[in-house]
Amino acid sequence: MNKFGILAAVAGLGMLAPTVQAHHSNAMFDTSREVNMRGVVREFQWSNPHAYIQMVVTEEDGTETEWSMEMGAPMYLYARGWRPRTLRPGSVINVRAHPLRSGEPGGVVVDVTDADGNEIGTNQ
Amino acid sequence: MRWTAIAALALAAIVAPASAQDSMDQAARTEKFAELPYWPGYWVSEYTIGTTIGGAAPALAEARERGDTSFFRNFMSLNGGGASWNEEGRARLAEVRAAARGRKADGWGFPMMMNAATPIVFAITPELVIITNSYGETRHIYTDGRPMPDELDMWPTVYGTSVGHWEGDTLVIETRMVSTPSDYFHGAPPYSEDAVYVERLRLEGDRLIGDYTVTDPTYLSEPFHTQVSWLRDEGFDRMIQIDWDNDRTSFDGEFNTIEAEAVED
Repeated sequence: MNKFGILAAVAGLGMLAPTVQAHHSNAMFDTSREVNMRGVVREFQWSNPHAYIQMVVTEEDGTETEWSMEMGAPMYLYARGWRPRTLRPGSVINVRAHPLRSGEPGGVVVDVTDADGNEIGTNQ
Repeated sequence: MRWTAIAALALAAIVAPASAQDSMDQAARTEKFAELPYWPGYWVSEYTIGTTIGGAAPALAEARERGDTSFFRNFMSLNGGGASWNEEGRARLAEVRAAARGRKADGWGFPMMMNAATPIVFAITPELVIITNSYGETRHIYTDGRPMPDELDMWPTVYGTSVGHWEGDTLVIETRMVSTPSDYFHGAPPYSEDAVYVERLRLEGDRLIGDYTVTDPTYLSEPFHTQVSWLRDEGFDRMIQIDWDNDRTSFDGEFNTIEAEAVED
Protein backbone atom coordinates (compact mmCIF):
# COMPACT_ATOMS: atom_id res chain seq x y z
CA MET A 1 0.00 0.00 0.00
CA ASN A 2 1.34 3.38 -0.86
CA LYS A 3 2.10 5.91 1.78
CA PHE A 4 -0.84 8.03 0.84
CA GLY A 5 -2.18 6.91 -2.46
CA ILE A 6 -4.89 8.28 -4.58
CA LEU A 7 -8.17 7.27 -3.10
CA ALA A 8 -10.52 7.53 -5.99
CA ALA A 9 -9.62 9.10 -9.23
CA VAL A 10 -12.38 10.56 -11.28
CA ALA A 11 -16.11 10.18 -10.89
CA GLY A 12 -18.76 11.46 -13.22
CA LEU A 13 -20.81 14.10 -11.47
CA GLY A 14 -23.02 15.63 -14.05
CA MET A 15 -25.56 16.59 -11.42
CA LEU A 16 -23.29 19.16 -9.84
CA ALA A 17 -24.26 22.76 -10.35
CA PRO A 18 -21.81 24.74 -12.40
CA THR A 19 -19.73 27.20 -10.48
CA VAL A 20 -18.56 30.60 -11.51
CA GLN A 21 -15.46 32.31 -10.35
CA ALA A 22 -14.82 35.98 -10.70
CA HIS A 23 -11.13 36.59 -11.26
CA HIS A 24 -10.90 34.19 -14.15
CA SER A 25 -13.24 31.98 -16.08
CA ASN A 26 -14.09 28.69 -14.46
CA ALA A 27 -13.84 26.98 -17.83
CA MET A 28 -10.38 25.67 -16.97
CA PHE A 29 -11.98 23.28 -14.48
CA ASP A 30 -14.13 20.33 -15.43
CA THR A 31 -17.00 20.84 -13.02
CA SER A 32 -18.70 17.66 -14.24
CA ARG A 33 -15.93 15.60 -12.69
CA GLU A 34 -14.32 15.28 -9.30
CA VAL A 35 -11.03 13.94 -8.08
CA ASN A 36 -10.46 12.80 -4.52
CA MET A 37 -6.84 13.23 -3.58
CA ARG A 38 -5.04 12.26 -0.40
CA GLY A 39 -1.66 13.79 0.12
CA VAL A 40 0.69 15.88 2.18
CA VAL A 41 0.53 19.64 2.35
CA ARG A 42 3.76 21.12 1.05
CA GLU A 43 2.58 24.70 1.27
CA PHE A 44 -0.65 26.55 1.86
CA GLN A 45 -0.35 29.71 -0.22
CA TRP A 46 -2.47 32.36 1.48
CA SER A 47 -2.33 34.68 -1.48
CA ASN A 48 -4.32 36.87 -3.84
CA PRO A 49 -6.15 36.62 -6.11
CA HIS A 50 -6.37 32.95 -5.15
CA ALA A 51 -5.09 30.79 -2.35
CA TYR A 52 -3.54 27.45 -3.29
CA ILE A 53 -2.99 24.20 -1.51
CA GLN A 54 0.23 22.71 -2.79
CA MET A 55 -0.04 19.04 -1.91
CA VAL A 56 2.18 16.11 -2.77
CA VAL A 57 0.36 12.94 -3.75
CA THR A 58 2.15 9.62 -3.94
CA GLU A 59 0.81 7.48 -6.72
CA GLU A 60 0.62 3.68 -6.69
CA ASP A 61 3.98 3.31 -8.43
CA GLY A 62 5.59 5.51 -5.81
CA THR A 63 5.79 8.55 -8.03
CA GLU A 64 5.21 11.78 -6.18
CA THR A 65 3.14 14.41 -7.93
CA GLU A 66 2.52 17.90 -6.66
CA TRP A 67 -0.98 19.18 -7.14
CA SER A 68 -2.08 22.81 -7.13
CA MET A 69 -5.52 23.06 -5.61
CA GLU A 70 -7.04 26.46 -6.18
CA MET A 71 -9.24 28.21 -3.66
CA GLY A 72 -10.88 31.61 -3.38
CA ALA A 73 -9.28 34.83 -2.24
CA PRO A 74 -8.00 35.02 1.35
CA MET A 75 -10.64 37.53 2.46
CA TYR A 76 -13.41 35.13 1.48
CA LEU A 77 -11.57 32.20 3.02
CA TYR A 78 -11.21 34.23 6.21
CA ALA A 79 -14.94 34.95 6.16
CA ARG A 80 -15.57 31.22 5.98
CA GLY A 81 -13.38 30.54 9.00
CA TRP A 82 -10.13 29.68 7.29
CA ARG A 83 -6.79 31.06 8.43
CA PRO A 84 -3.27 30.92 6.96
CA ARG A 85 -2.39 28.16 9.41
CA THR A 86 -5.51 26.12 8.83
CA LEU A 87 -3.32 23.85 6.74
CA ARG A 88 0.24 23.28 7.87
CA PRO A 89 3.10 21.81 5.87
CA GLY A 90 3.38 18.09 6.48
CA SER A 91 -0.29 17.61 7.30
CA VAL A 92 -2.10 14.78 5.60
CA ILE A 93 -5.34 15.94 4.01
CA ASN A 94 -7.98 14.78 1.60
CA VAL A 95 -9.10 17.19 -1.08
CA ARG A 96 -12.10 16.77 -3.30
CA ALA A 97 -11.73 18.98 -6.36
CA HIS A 98 -12.88 19.64 -9.88
CA PRO A 99 -9.79 18.87 -11.97
CA LEU A 100 -8.17 20.99 -14.63
CA ARG A 101 -9.42 20.14 -18.10
CA SER A 102 -5.85 20.21 -19.30
CA GLY A 103 -5.02 17.08 -17.33
CA GLU A 104 -2.34 18.88 -15.39
CA PRO A 105 -2.22 18.13 -11.67
CA GLY A 106 -4.51 20.84 -10.41
CA GLY A 107 -8.10 21.66 -9.65
CA VAL A 108 -10.48 23.86 -7.74
CA VAL A 109 -11.33 22.79 -4.22
CA VAL A 110 -14.74 21.41 -3.35
CA ASP A 111 -13.94 20.32 0.18
CA VAL A 112 -11.06 19.45 2.45
CA THR A 113 -10.91 16.90 5.26
CA ASP A 114 -8.13 15.92 7.62
CA ALA A 115 -6.38 12.55 7.69
CA ASP A 116 -9.23 11.08 9.70
CA GLY A 117 -11.88 12.41 7.37
CA ASN A 118 -13.01 15.26 9.61
CA GLU A 119 -14.22 18.27 7.67
CA ILE A 120 -11.90 21.24 7.50
CA GLY A 121 -13.90 23.17 4.96
CA THR A 122 -16.41 22.70 2.22
CA ASN A 123 -17.92 24.47 -0.73
CA GLN A 124 -21.30 22.92 -0.15
CA MET B 1 16.50 78.91 29.33
CA ARG B 2 15.38 82.49 28.77
CA TRP B 3 15.34 82.01 25.01
CA THR B 4 13.42 78.82 25.44
CA ALA B 5 10.74 80.60 27.46
CA ILE B 6 10.50 83.42 24.95
CA ALA B 7 10.21 80.97 22.12
CA ALA B 8 7.46 79.10 23.98
CA LEU B 9 5.50 82.32 24.55
CA ALA B 10 5.89 83.34 20.93
CA LEU B 11 4.69 79.92 19.81
CA ALA B 12 1.71 80.11 22.14
CA ALA B 13 0.77 83.53 20.73
CA ILE B 14 0.82 82.11 17.24
CA VAL B 15 -1.03 78.93 18.07
CA ALA B 16 -3.75 80.27 20.36
CA PRO B 17 -5.88 82.11 17.78
CA ALA B 18 -5.52 79.21 15.40
CA SER B 19 -6.66 76.82 18.12
CA ALA B 20 -9.79 78.84 18.73
CA GLN B 21 -10.49 78.86 15.02
CA ASP B 22 -9.76 75.17 14.90
CA SER B 23 -12.31 74.59 17.66
CA MET B 24 -14.95 76.48 15.73
CA ASP B 25 -14.08 74.59 12.58
CA GLN B 26 -14.18 71.34 14.47
CA ALA B 27 -17.65 72.09 15.83
CA ALA B 28 -18.94 72.93 12.36
CA ARG B 29 -17.27 69.85 10.98
CA THR B 30 -18.83 67.68 13.66
CA GLU B 31 -22.24 68.98 12.61
CA LYS B 32 -21.49 68.19 8.98
CA PHE B 33 -20.30 64.75 9.99
CA ALA B 34 -23.58 64.05 11.78
CA GLU B 35 -25.55 64.88 8.64
CA LEU B 36 -23.66 62.39 6.47
CA PRO B 37 -24.82 58.87 5.67
CA TYR B 38 -22.99 56.07 7.42
CA TRP B 39 -22.28 52.93 5.44
CA PRO B 40 -20.36 50.72 7.86
CA GLY B 41 -19.41 47.17 7.10
CA TYR B 42 -17.78 45.12 4.39
CA TRP B 43 -19.70 45.34 1.18
CA VAL B 44 -19.52 42.68 -1.49
CA SER B 45 -21.01 42.74 -4.96
CA GLU B 46 -24.38 41.08 -4.61
CA TYR B 47 -23.54 38.21 -6.93
CA THR B 48 -20.60 37.20 -4.69
CA ILE B 49 -22.71 36.71 -1.57
CA GLY B 50 -21.82 33.41 0.04
CA THR B 51 -18.65 32.93 -1.99
CA THR B 52 -17.32 29.51 -1.10
CA ILE B 53 -13.82 28.43 -0.14
CA GLY B 54 -13.34 27.38 -3.75
CA GLY B 55 -14.01 30.94 -4.82
CA ALA B 56 -17.34 30.14 -6.45
CA ALA B 57 -20.33 32.43 -6.23
CA PRO B 58 -23.36 30.24 -5.50
CA ALA B 59 -25.88 32.92 -6.43
CA LEU B 60 -24.56 32.84 -9.98
CA ALA B 61 -24.76 29.07 -10.18
CA GLU B 62 -28.31 29.18 -8.87
CA ALA B 63 -29.24 31.89 -11.36
CA ARG B 64 -27.80 29.80 -14.17
CA GLU B 65 -29.80 26.77 -13.05
CA ARG B 66 -33.06 28.70 -13.05
CA GLY B 67 -32.16 30.46 -16.29
CA ASP B 68 -32.20 33.92 -14.77
CA THR B 69 -30.23 35.87 -17.31
CA SER B 70 -31.08 39.19 -15.67
CA PHE B 71 -28.99 38.13 -12.70
CA PHE B 72 -26.08 37.45 -15.00
CA ARG B 73 -26.32 40.92 -16.43
CA ASN B 74 -25.42 42.08 -12.95
CA PHE B 75 -22.34 39.86 -12.91
CA MET B 76 -19.42 42.21 -13.29
CA SER B 77 -21.68 44.49 -15.29
CA LEU B 78 -19.06 47.22 -15.10
CA ASN B 79 -16.95 45.20 -17.53
CA GLY B 80 -18.84 46.98 -20.29
CA GLY B 81 -20.18 43.86 -21.95
CA GLY B 82 -23.55 45.56 -22.24
CA ALA B 83 -22.23 48.87 -23.50
CA SER B 84 -22.89 50.28 -26.96
CA TRP B 85 -19.44 50.21 -28.47
CA ASN B 86 -18.83 51.97 -31.74
CA GLU B 87 -17.05 50.15 -34.55
CA GLU B 88 -13.62 51.02 -33.25
CA GLY B 89 -14.69 50.14 -29.74
CA ARG B 90 -16.02 46.72 -30.78
CA ALA B 91 -12.77 45.90 -32.49
CA ARG B 92 -10.86 47.03 -29.47
CA LEU B 93 -13.05 45.01 -27.11
CA ALA B 94 -12.64 41.88 -29.23
CA GLU B 95 -8.89 42.35 -29.31
CA VAL B 96 -8.67 42.79 -25.54
CA ARG B 97 -10.86 39.80 -24.79
CA ALA B 98 -8.94 37.58 -27.20
CA ALA B 99 -5.71 38.54 -25.49
CA ALA B 100 -7.16 37.95 -22.03
CA ARG B 101 -6.65 34.20 -22.07
CA GLY B 102 -4.18 33.29 -19.41
CA ARG B 103 -3.25 36.88 -18.89
CA LYS B 104 -2.20 37.90 -15.44
CA ALA B 105 -3.59 41.01 -13.84
CA ASP B 106 -2.19 43.61 -11.50
CA GLY B 107 -5.37 43.98 -9.49
CA TRP B 108 -8.92 45.04 -10.22
CA GLY B 109 -8.40 48.75 -10.85
CA PHE B 110 -11.24 51.18 -11.50
CA PRO B 111 -14.03 50.65 -12.34
CA MET B 112 -13.81 46.89 -11.71
CA MET B 113 -12.86 47.21 -8.04
CA MET B 114 -16.44 48.43 -7.52
CA ASN B 115 -17.80 45.23 -9.03
CA ALA B 116 -15.23 42.63 -8.12
CA ALA B 117 -14.78 39.60 -5.93
CA THR B 118 -13.54 41.59 -2.98
CA PRO B 119 -15.24 43.38 -0.15
CA ILE B 120 -15.02 47.15 -0.12
CA VAL B 121 -15.35 49.63 2.72
CA PHE B 122 -16.48 53.26 2.70
CA ALA B 123 -14.90 55.83 5.00
CA ILE B 124 -17.09 58.90 4.78
CA THR B 125 -15.97 62.28 6.07
CA PRO B 126 -17.24 65.76 5.21
CA GLU B 127 -14.31 66.45 2.95
CA LEU B 128 -13.40 63.06 1.57
CA VAL B 129 -14.80 59.61 0.93
CA ILE B 130 -12.29 56.80 0.77
CA ILE B 131 -13.20 53.48 -0.82
CA THR B 132 -10.77 50.64 -0.43
CA ASN B 133 -10.74 46.88 -0.94
CA SER B 134 -8.81 43.86 0.29
CA TYR B 135 -6.16 44.30 -2.39
CA GLY B 136 -5.07 47.66 -1.06
CA GLU B 137 -6.76 49.42 -3.94
CA THR B 138 -7.99 52.84 -2.85
CA ARG B 139 -10.08 55.62 -4.28
CA HIS B 140 -10.07 59.14 -2.88
CA ILE B 141 -13.25 61.08 -3.64
CA TYR B 142 -13.05 64.72 -2.63
CA THR B 143 -16.37 66.08 -1.40
CA ASP B 144 -15.12 69.42 -0.08
CA GLY B 145 -16.61 71.36 -2.95
CA ARG B 146 -13.54 71.53 -5.10
CA PRO B 147 -14.02 71.30 -8.84
CA MET B 148 -12.41 68.65 -11.00
CA PRO B 149 -8.74 69.59 -11.34
CA ASP B 150 -7.64 71.31 -14.50
CA GLU B 151 -6.91 68.86 -17.27
CA LEU B 152 -3.28 69.94 -17.25
CA ASP B 153 -3.07 68.96 -13.58
CA MET B 154 -4.23 65.40 -14.22
CA TRP B 155 -2.84 62.42 -15.99
CA PRO B 156 -4.25 58.91 -16.49
CA THR B 157 -4.01 56.65 -13.47
CA VAL B 158 -5.49 53.27 -12.60
CA TYR B 159 -8.06 54.78 -10.22
CA GLY B 160 -8.48 58.13 -11.97
CA THR B 161 -9.24 61.45 -10.32
CA SER B 162 -12.55 61.78 -8.49
CA VAL B 163 -14.59 64.59 -7.03
CA GLY B 164 -17.98 64.10 -5.44
CA HIS B 165 -20.89 65.73 -3.72
CA TRP B 166 -23.93 64.68 -1.77
CA GLU B 167 -27.43 65.01 -3.14
CA GLY B 168 -29.35 64.17 0.00
CA ASP B 169 -28.16 60.68 0.93
CA THR B 170 -26.82 59.95 -2.53
CA LEU B 171 -23.11 60.25 -3.15
CA VAL B 172 -22.49 61.48 -6.68
CA ILE B 173 -18.98 60.87 -7.99
CA GLU B 174 -17.38 62.01 -11.19
CA THR B 175 -14.17 60.30 -12.20
CA ARG B 176 -11.88 61.20 -15.06
CA MET B 177 -8.45 60.35 -16.38
CA VAL B 178 -8.67 56.62 -15.77
CA SER B 179 -5.96 54.78 -17.65
CA THR B 180 -7.37 52.10 -19.94
CA PRO B 181 -8.94 49.72 -17.42
CA SER B 182 -8.25 46.57 -19.43
CA ASP B 183 -4.53 47.30 -19.32
CA TYR B 184 -4.64 46.63 -15.59
CA PHE B 185 -7.20 43.86 -15.39
CA HIS B 186 -7.94 41.72 -18.42
CA GLY B 187 -11.65 41.51 -17.66
CA ALA B 188 -12.11 45.27 -17.51
CA PRO B 189 -13.53 47.42 -20.30
CA PRO B 190 -11.08 48.99 -22.77
CA TYR B 191 -12.40 52.52 -22.38
CA SER B 192 -10.25 55.36 -23.56
CA GLU B 193 -8.57 57.75 -21.19
CA ASP B 194 -11.17 60.34 -22.21
CA ALA B 195 -13.98 58.35 -20.61
CA VAL B 196 -16.01 60.03 -17.87
CA TYR B 197 -17.53 57.91 -15.13
CA VAL B 198 -20.46 59.13 -13.03
CA GLU B 199 -21.60 57.11 -10.05
CA ARG B 200 -24.65 57.64 -7.87
CA LEU B 201 -24.36 55.58 -4.70
CA ARG B 202 -27.08 55.29 -2.10
CA LEU B 203 -28.35 52.97 0.59
CA GLU B 204 -31.69 51.26 0.05
CA GLY B 205 -32.52 49.24 3.13
CA ASP B 206 -29.64 46.82 3.64
CA ARG B 207 -28.52 47.12 0.03
CA LEU B 208 -26.11 49.65 -1.36
CA ILE B 209 -26.98 50.62 -4.91
CA GLY B 210 -24.75 52.23 -7.48
CA ASP B 211 -26.01 53.66 -10.76
CA TYR B 212 -23.21 54.06 -13.26
CA THR B 213 -22.98 56.11 -16.41
CA VAL B 214 -19.89 55.91 -18.56
CA THR B 215 -19.37 58.30 -21.43
CA ASP B 216 -16.54 57.59 -23.83
CA PRO B 217 -16.69 59.57 -27.08
CA THR B 218 -13.79 57.55 -28.43
CA TYR B 219 -15.18 54.04 -28.13
CA LEU B 220 -18.86 54.23 -27.14
CA SER B 221 -21.64 55.27 -29.46
CA GLU B 222 -23.79 56.31 -26.51
CA PRO B 223 -23.38 56.51 -22.73
CA PHE B 224 -23.35 53.18 -20.94
CA HIS B 225 -25.71 52.84 -17.99
CA THR B 226 -25.58 49.99 -15.53
CA GLN B 227 -26.28 49.28 -11.91
CA VAL B 228 -24.22 47.54 -9.26
CA SER B 229 -25.49 46.43 -5.89
CA TRP B 230 -23.66 45.43 -2.75
CA LEU B 231 -24.66 43.57 0.37
CA ARG B 232 -22.89 42.89 3.63
CA ASP B 233 -21.71 39.30 3.65
CA GLU B 234 -21.03 37.35 6.81
CA GLY B 235 -17.67 36.52 8.31
CA PHE B 236 -15.73 39.74 7.79
CA ASP B 237 -14.54 41.52 10.91
CA ARG B 238 -11.87 43.81 9.49
CA MET B 239 -10.31 44.75 6.21
CA ILE B 240 -7.20 42.70 5.60
CA GLN B 241 -5.22 43.91 2.65
CA ILE B 242 -3.14 41.37 0.80
CA ASP B 243 -1.12 42.06 -2.33
CA TRP B 244 -2.18 40.66 -5.68
CA ASP B 245 1.02 38.67 -5.61
CA ASN B 246 0.20 35.16 -6.75
CA ASP B 247 -1.71 35.30 -10.01
CA ARG B 248 -0.96 31.85 -11.43
CA THR B 249 -3.41 32.11 -14.29
CA SER B 250 -1.94 30.61 -17.43
CA PHE B 251 -3.11 29.28 -20.78
CA ASP B 252 -2.48 25.80 -22.14
CA GLY B 253 -3.47 26.53 -25.73
CA GLU B 254 -7.07 25.54 -25.22
CA PHE B 255 -8.05 26.55 -21.71
CA ASN B 256 -6.83 28.78 -19.00
CA THR B 257 -4.94 26.76 -16.46
CA ILE B 258 -2.99 27.08 -13.24
CA GLU B 259 0.62 27.96 -13.76
CA ALA B 260 2.84 25.19 -12.51
CA GLU B 261 4.30 25.48 -9.06
CA ALA B 262 7.81 24.08 -8.91
CA VAL B 263 8.35 21.35 -6.37
CA GLU B 264 11.08 22.32 -3.97
CA ASP B 265 13.77 19.76 -3.27
